Amino acid sequence: FQVNHPGDFSLSPIKPKLNVLSVMSPAGCSHVNGYKVDNWKQNLRVIYQCFVWSGTAETRRRKAKSCICHMCGAHLNRLHSCLYCVFFGCFTKKHIHEHAKNKRHNLAIDLLYGGIYCFVCQDYIYDKDMEQIAKEEQRKAWKLQGTPLLFLRIGEKYTTWEPTKRELELLRHNPKRRKITTNCTIGLRGLINLGNTCFMNCIVQALTHTPLLRDFFLSDRHKCEMQSNSCLVCEMSQLFQEFYSGHRSPHIPFRLLHLVWTHARHLAGYEQQDAHEFLIAALDVLHRHCKGDDNGKKANNPNHCNCIIDQIFTGGLQSDVTCQVCHGVSTTIDPFWDISLDLPGSSTPFWPLSPGGDGSTVNGESHLSGSTTLTDCLRRFTRPEHLGSSAKIKCGGCHSYQESTKQLTMKKLPIVACFHLKRFEHSAKLRRKITTYVSFPLELDMTPFMASSKESRMNGQYQQTVDVLNNDNKYSLFAVVNHQGTLESGHYTSFIRQHKDQWFKCDDAIITKASIKDVLDSEG
Amino acid sequence: MSKESRMKATINQKLTEMGERERLKELLRAKLTECGWKDQMKAHCKEVIKEKGLEHVTVEDLMVEITPKGRALVPDSVKKELLHRIRAFLAQHAT
Repeated sequence: FQVNHPGDFSLSPIKPKLNVLSVMSPAGCSHVNGYKVDNWKQNLRVIYQCFVWSGTAETRRRKAKSCICHMCGAHLNRLHSCLYCVFFGCFTKKHIHEHAKNKRHNLAIDLLYGGIYCFVCQDYIYDKDMEQIAKEEQRKAWKLQGTPLLFLRIGEKYTTWEPTKRELELLRHNPKRRKITTNCTIGLRGLINLGNTCFMNCIVQALTHTPLLRDFFLSDRHKCEMQSNSCLVCEMSQLFQEFYSGHRSPHIPFRLLHLVWTHARHLAGYEQQDAHEFLIAALDVLHRHCKGDDNGKKANNPNHCNCIIDQIFTGGLQSDVTCQVCHGVSTTIDPFWDISLDLPGSSTPFWPLSPGGDGSTVNGESHLSGSTTLTDCLRRFTRPEHLGSSAKIKCGGCHSYQESTKQLTMKKLPIVACFHLKRFEHSAKLRRKITTYVSFPLELDMTPFMASSKESRMNGQYQQTVDVLNNDNKYSLFAVVNHQGTLESGHYTSFIRQHKDQWFKCDDAIITKASIKDVLDSEG
Repeated sequence: MSKESRMKATINQKLTEMGERERLKELLRAKLTECGWKDQMKAHCKEVIKEKGLEHVTVEDLMVEITPKGRALVPDSVKKELLHRIRAFLAQHAT
């Protein structure tokens, strides 16, 4: 599952006749030369700091008070400031234009976006030096703002791409462009089975179709610090290149397989392995090999890692142990990459979901069909569990061993949530596969399972209406891995989502179009 | 200035002072990107540029062309959410 992703990956075509490459260099105008005298840089910085991107409380107060049109008092209407003197005027009502004409002050700055307007050219101009100052001041203001609302979690604020000299060169030498349309199949490629490696192939398909991961690798964000050739992240990068190369023949992932065997010995060998185990092992190795990408922050340690794997896949699971005598709660939060869910039919009883039972419907599902749903599994996962008299916990409040209940909830949701249905039972007596059908939705709201929701419920605030406007906890399905067959011999296939609503079935080297119904009817 | 515009000015002052205006701008930017509005506007801009010719088009031309369409295409849910945020903020900081 992945949080509703803004838009989708798209390359805009650069048509030769527009000659965009020459326009991309900032087009200044000669009329700024009159301004660029004496201490102009500092003056310009002050204008940006005080009236455009006010970073401090003081500048904000000053902006609030003084940024109004000197002619009509309005604060809207695209307010501009004269660059030559202290004058604010609306653009829409042409008050700034009047000032420019009367005083022959030909430059003004847009207080909303920081653009420089030249009244002689009658358009916004892009002077390289001024642009540089604007960028720096904007960055400064963002930093001062504290917790920025919507920085990309990669750690930088989104800015539009500006090619470097080297990139422009590369673009010129490679004029072929590929346009991504809504039904193009770029990114889809089969994988040859190298001998029971379908478990790996499925996970690779899921990973190469994780949008944030794809964007990370396709924009070359990995800086390798490993001396040897055995960096799995580099291999991943290569893999993305292969998948998005446009080649239609299946890829042979022998190097990837070899690296996985090297770094995750327990998965080596040609027998069938567990896809879920592979996912966790792969994420672990990738996380360990991401050392170069931290941008100088703390080295890889499980609590402070900022690598791409942690940013995308790591969530926080809260465990609350409540003493039954003094009702004191002991809370721990552990990081997780996936949620493993028990299924009905296993040796541990599934129903009822919680002591006392809870009849509310979550995510609009009903039990008319009689089948278990993913949210049933999640409700069971987050139910309060009596730990019983044989498992007493030492209570810090009572200073003695007491019976307690334990409850798991989500403290922090990952960007990509992986749910693992525990179909393979390896208990002392038997090893078998549980084939109970579990239905899952295309869209999943994790709000009921959050630690914060549990707190509101305990405080008596029953959430009767789901906050439709809040998308923070909502997920969109984008990959499903299925296993057919038995524990001894079986085969893995996967469904992955391309673009907004196109699904494909990946069976090793064979990729076929699939319907949403195929996906939702599959076992999971 | 009319009473309404005076009220607007006061609200704007408060929002700016407390940095809420910037936060709302960011929220709006994200919401409009998420729902595809930004891409729609970008596509429309490209059309206008093609029509007018890259050498002759000004920012003003683009503004005039896309403002009405842009205003109309903002989803109601986004408007509702922003309104809700502003109301909540004003309630919190009522003088």
